[in-house]
Amino acid sequence: MAPLKHVERENPIIDASFRDFCASHGIQTVEDFLLHDLYELAAFAERQRNADRLKEGITFMLSLIELQCRPWLNGMELLEDLHRNKHTLSTGDKGIDSLLQGGFREGQVTELVGPSSSGKTQFCMQAAASVAEKYSARVLYLDTGNSFSARRIAQFICSSSDAALRQKVLSRISCQMVYDVYTMFDMLHGLEVTLRSQAQMNVNEDRLQLLVVDSISSLITPILGGSGSQGRALMVAVGYMLKKLAHEHNIAILVTNHTVGAGEGGRTKPALGETWKSIPHVRLMLTRDHRNNNCTISILKHTSMPAGHTVTTMTREDNTHCL
Amino acid sequence: MAPTHTLAAKSRRRFKKLSLATKHYRVMETSRLPLSSTIRGKLISAGYTSLSSISSVSSTDLARDVDMTEAEAVDISKLANQISGSNGTTSLINGGKNAWDMLHEEESLPRITTSCSDLDNILGGGISCRDVTEIGGVPGIGKTQIGIQLSVNVQIPREFGGLGGKAIYIDTEGSFMVERALQMAEACVEDMEEYTGYMMHKHFKASQVQMKPEDILENIFYFRVCSYTEQIALVNHLDKFISENKDVKVVIVDSITFHFRQDFDDLGQRTRVLSEMALKFMKLAKKFSLAVVLLNQVTTKYTDGSFQLALALGDSWSHSCTNRVILYWNGDERYAYIDKSPSLPSASASYNVTSRGLRNSSSSTKRVKMM
Repeated sequence: MAPLKHVERENPIIDASFRDFCASHGIQTVEDFLLHDLYELAAFAERQRNADRLKEGITFMLSLIELQCRPWLNGMELLEDLHRNKHTLSTGDKGIDSLLQGGFREGQVTELVGPSSSGKTQFCMQAAASVAEKYSARVLYLDTGNSFSARRIAQFICSSSDAALRQKVLSRISCQMVYDVYTMFDMLHGLEVTLRSQAQMNVNEDRLQLLVVDSISSLITPILGGSGSQGRALMVAVGYMLKKLAHEHNIAILVTNHTVGAGEGGRTKPALGETWKSIPHVRLMLTRDHRNNNCTISILKHTSMPAGHTVTTMTREDNTHCL
Repeated sequence: MAPTHTLAAKSRRRFKKLSLATKHYRVMETSRLPLSSTIRGKLISAGYTSLSSISSVSSTDLARDVDMTEAEAVDISKLANQISGSNGTTSLINGGKNAWDMLHEEESLPRITTSCSDLDNILGGGISCRDVTEIGGVPGIGKTQIGIQLSVNVQIPREFGGLGGKAIYIDTEGSFMVERALQMAEACVEDMEEYTGYMMHKHFKASQVQMKPEDILENIFYFRVCSYTEQIALVNHLDKFISENKDVKVVIVDSITFHFRQDFDDLGQRTRVLSEMALKFMKLAKKFSLAVVLLNQVTTKYTDGSFQLALALGDSWSHSCTNRVILYWNGDERYAYIDKSPSLPSASASYNVTSRGLRNSSSSTKRVKMM
C-alpha cells in the first residue's frame, strides 16, 4: 500500500498537516487508514484547530477508498462472460479431453499432481503444443527444472510435416526459466502489465491463452516450513496472483505439483499442504505404470464434476494419435 | 584544398548536431510519459532515459532504483510498454524465448559421451549439457566409474567430436581414485591416437593428438567435501568459480546424498535445503550451458506392501533433476535404465566397466569368453 505522501501529488488536500495529524494516530499508509476507527478519527479532528480541513481530508480519503470498490455483475452477465470468454482448451489427448468435458477451462487454474516421472511434464508440453496449434494462441511456459524440450514439443504437433506451420506453432510458444519464487513474482507482475496494456490496445490476435508453470512446487518447497509463516504467505500470494491473471485475462493456467508420502503403507498425497489445496480449481492426479507406459489420470477436485473419475492413456511416442 | 577542408568541418558540425539531437530525443522519450515532473526527473537522473530502458527492467528493480513505490513503478513500466507499442506484443515477458529458436539451440547442444555406445544411444548421444542428470544405483554398480569417465571424456577435443572442456568433481564420500582416472585418461588418449591413425590410413587429414594423460588430470578440478555445510558453501561458490573457469563443461557430484543421509534430524529442513540446492544446480546448468551429473545412492522404500529399492532422499528430491538414469544388475550384467527424461523415451542398455573405463558390454563379454 502507498504511503499517504503519494496521494498528495494528485490531491493537495492530503497535505503535510493532514499527514501529521494521521501520523499522530499511527496512520502512515492508506492501508493503516482503512484499519482505523474513522468515527474516532473524526472526533479527534473536531478538536483540532483546522478541523474543517482535516474532516474534508478524511471524507476525501473515504471517497478514494470507495473508488477501489469493483463493479458488480449479475448472474446473466457472468454466464455471458463464461460463454464468450472462458472456453475449454483441448489438452491434445482424446481421453483426457473427454474426462474433463472438453479440456481445461480458461480462467481456471488446473493442477497436475504426480510422483516423479509420472508424465506431468509430458502432459504440459502436449497441452502447450495442442493449444498453440489448434487455437493459434500464444503459450507461455515457465520452467523450473530445465525440462522444457522444444524437440519433444515439435513431436506433439499434429501437422509437423508442414515445416512452415511447424515453425509458426513453435514460435507461439515462449519459454522462460525461473529458479526462485521472487523471480516468479517479477515475471507475473511483468506479464500482468503487458497483458493489461495489450487489452487496452485491443490486441486480440495471438492472445495468450495458456500459461504453464512446471513446477510450482519446486519454487515453493525451499521457502516453505520452518518457524516463520512468511513462506506460506508467499505461496498463497503466488497462488492468488495466478488465479487473478487467469480470471482477468481469460488464460488457462496449468501448474504441476509433486507428491509426498502420507503416513504408512507408501501412500502419497499432493505436496504443499492444506493451504495450497484451496488454490487450484481443478486437481488431477497422475500415476504411471512403468511396466506398460500406461498413464492413469484421476480427478481429485473439480469445480463442476465429482471427484474420482479416472482415465488411462498411453505416453505418446510421437504424433501418430492426433485428434 | 580549402573548400574540401570547410566541407569536412561542416559535416563534422552537422554530425555533432545530429548526435545532440538523438541524445535530446532519448531524453524526450522519458519526458513523453504522462508523469509528474519530479518522477520524470527521478527517472532521468537514475539513468532511465529511454522507454526501452524502462521496459527492460522489472518493476521491482525500477522501484528500488528510482525510489518509488512498487505500484508506481508498475504503472510506469505499463506506460512505457504501451507507448513503445509493438515491443509489448512481440514478447510477453522479458527474456522469454520461443520454442522455434530453442529447437535449433537444442539441436546444436553438445553431449558428453560415456564411452559406451549402447548407453550413448539411449541417452540420445550422451549426457546432455544444460541438464541436470541424476544417476543412481546400488553400491558397486559403477556410479563413481561413470563419474570419472565423464570427467575424462568432457576433455576430448573438438576435432575428435568432444567438447574440449574441463571438469569439476565434487567428492563427498572420498571415492575418487586418481590412479583410476589416470588409467581412463591413458585409455582415452590411446583411443584418440588409434582414431587418428585410422583417419591417416584413410588419407584424411587429421591433427596429431596433442593431449597427454597428465593434461587430462590437470583439468579435473577436484573438491573434497566433508560435511553438508561445506557442500552448501561449495554449491554457492560454484557460480563464481565457473565464471572464472569458463571451460568447465561438467560438474559431477559423487554423491549428492552422503552428508544428507546422516547428520540431519529435521527432515523438513533437509527437504528445503536440498530443493534450494537443486534449483542452484539447475541455474548453473542453464547459465553456463554445462552438464550437472548428480550421483545418488539407493534406499529401500515400502510401497504396495513390499520393500523396493528406490533412490535416496525422498519424493521431493526426485523432482530435482531433468533426467534420471538408474543402474542395476541383471544377472551378471550391468544395465542402465532411463527412468525420467522430458525428451527421451524410457529404454535400457547394458554396459561394462573395464580396466580402460566404461565400454559396451556385448563385445567385451565375447572377448572374455574367447580368452
